[in-house]
Amino acid sequence: MIAMRSLVSVVDDDESVRESLPDLLRELGFAALAFSSAEEFLASASVAETRCLILDIVMPGMSGPDLQQELTLRRQHIPIVFISAHADETVRSRLLAQGAVACLFKPFSETALLEAINAALRVN
Amino acid sequence: MRNEPNRVVDALPGLAWTALLDGTVGSLNQRWYEYTGLGRDAAPSHGWHSAIHPDDLVRVLDRWQSIVASGEPGEIEARLRRFDGAFRWFLFRWCPFAHGSSEVAAWSGLAVDIDDRKRDEEALRVALKRGEARRAAILDSALDCIVTIDHEGRITEFNPAAERTFRYRRDDVVGRMLADVIIPPSLRNAHRRGMARYLATGEERVLGRRVEMTAVRADGREFPVELAITRIPSDGPPSFTGYLRDITARKQAEAELRRSEALLAEGQRLSMTGTFVWRLDTDEITFSDELRRIFAFERSVPVTLELIGSRVHPDDLPLVAEKIALARAGGVDHDYEVRLRMPDESVKYLRTYAHPTRRPDGRVEFVGAMQDVTERRRSEEALNKARSELAHVARLTTLGALTASIAHEVNQPLSGIITNASTCLRMLDADPPNVDGARETAQRTIRDGNRASDVIARLRILFARKSTATEAVDLNDATREVIALSLSELRGGGVTLRADLADDLPPVTGDRVQLQQVILNLLRNAADAMSGVDDRPKRLVVRTERDAGDRVRLTVQDTGVGFEPAVVDRLFDAFYTTKASGMGIGLSVSRSIIENHRGRLWAEENDGPGASFSFSLPQGKP
Repeated sequence: MIAMRSLVSVVDDDESVRESLPDLLRELGFAALAFSSAEEFLASASVAETRCLILDIVMPGMSGPDLQQELTLRRQHIPIVFISAHADETVRSRLLAQGAVACLFKPFSETALLEAINAALRVN
Repeated sequence: MRNEPNRVVDALPGLAWTALLDGTVGSLNQRWYEYTGLGRDAAPSHGWHSAIHPDDLVRVLDRWQSIVASGEPGEIEARLRRFDGAFRWFLFRWCPFAHGSSEVAAWSGLAVDIDDRKRDEEALRVALKRGEARRAAILDSALDCIVTIDHEGRITEFNPAAERTFRYRRDDVVGRMLADVIIPPSLRNAHRRGMARYLATGEERVLGRRVEMTAVRADGREFPVELAITRIPSDGPPSFTGYLRDITARKQAEAELRRSEALLAEGQRLSMTGTFVWRLDTDEITFSDELRRIFAFERSVPVTLELIGSRVHPDDLPLVAEKIALARAGGVDHDYEVRLRMPDESVKYLRTYAHPTRRPDGRVEFVGAMQDVTERRRSEEALNKARSELAHVARLTTLGALTASIAHEVNQPLSGIITNASTCLRMLDADPPNVDGARETAQRTIRDGNRASDVIARLRILFARKSTATEAVDLNDATREVIALSLSELRGGGVTLRADLADDLPPVTGDRVQLQQVILNLLRNAADAMSGVDDRPKRLVVRTERDAGDRVRLTVQDTGVGFEPAVVDRLFDAFYTTKASGMGIGLSVSRSIIENHRGRLWAEENDGPGASFSFSLPQGKP
């Protein structure tokens, strides 16, 4: 039986992230989809399938934390790895306290990313 | 008495006769007959008085009577008729004589022609009289006081002007010692000594020269006079004439003049303004003391155009040459600033105003004032420098607040680079290697690298420490850059931004960085104003357009909380802030910057929610 690749969804308004991250994820052995906004992700059919959500914190419209809350409300417990270009420790601890698996600051290494995704997949 | 001709008597150079006591003539000499033309046969009994002028006859006879009565010799002058009828003056003399006895027996008479002498005397008298009259007229009408003294120092003449000046009548002072009359008590001894010395030694100090001294009036009041003394030539002891003039008024005017000149000099010194006069036809230049001081020219050195040129700062020599040419050509008013380079290498700034004037004699002069405004200029420069520093500080505080944006801007491409490079390695490690994929990741890497580089470059330009630069600035370009820099931050705050930039916007002249600083400040303020808003869209509009009066306007409009109309003036005060974490420097510095660019920065409430902040700048000069 062929092992199904786990779906990792990337939600980030930055185009270069949407370009580069899915390719890396695929090289790492995951399936990957990219969405330009939280709204787009919610409206997609991929919510239930997503085994790990790589989520930008600051976005126009619904922010990363907003999406986290929304998913909780919808009882969609998707493990979240936050990524952000703003290195703010306060925000990080808060997000981790609220249930995020990891919070990575850009630029992050491949190793850190893999570690975080594996941790996310171990949840459940 | 015998009437006999006597050769000696006839030969006398005079008219001789003898007379008896009763007055009848005894004899007459030949001359008498010849002179009077009366014949011998005309009975001499008519007498020696027969040819006497009728007007003089009575007088003569009276005299004759008294002489006879006195028995003493006597004389009288009278006119005698000549043979041709002309009358001439003669001096008649009688002497008594007696024959043997002591009793006077008869008289002898002699008449001598004194007519010439008489006429000369008359002419002399007339001349003298005329001379006197003239002299009196001169003395009387002279404006100057004329006082004459003799060798003892007594007043002999005191003209009407002297009477008026010294308040004495001539008659009251003639004969009195000059020293006691018009010389002040304190100077009398010196006067007497001087006179004595002169009379003794001929040595003098005051003759023939104009001197100033103090005189005294009848009422004791002393006053300054100008005085010239001459010695009156004569054989006898000397006498002197003094010509005096009351110079009280002149002295006062001189003192006034000195005082006003001193005030002027003081005024020039206090205001550090010097004046000059430049005669265009001769290039003769006169500098006031203060101007010499400013230029550091010695008092004794004549000021020439070359000398001035040696002080003018080399960079300003062309300007000065141009002004000089203008002055020669057409007499336009000058108003400009010029720099001097002093011997110690320091620089002075001089504000110069000058204009041509035409003298009554037709010659043209350039008259001007130059004020040393170096200190003011330095203050302005220091102020500008302080402004730049303040703007820089404001930029830095903005920098702190923009760290988030910066990090964001730079970290995005960096993240892309690392992600793509990781992917690239993995793709190359695959079996078979995914070369196409690897190539694409490499390309993305390069692109992201450039993106990061651009961001850094833009930030460096924006926050680089630079002094004020002036150039033509396209406000649209500048705005676009600032928007690009702050877009992510704005988006992060949920703000939508619309840029409404006019197509035909003329450039403005100014410091690009400073203007961008202002735009950045306005954008941030607008974003802050909307940060608490959640019941309406956070919309930010940046608009550029032409403005009335050849100006350019930029407006940042938000839908934020707006401001109380009452605080609109205080908005621009330094350190005024409504933000909890604000420092409040932004708007005050922004207004400063705009005003420095000869523009205006103001705030208005919108018709709907929020506020609009605008600035308007003059179009750049070509």
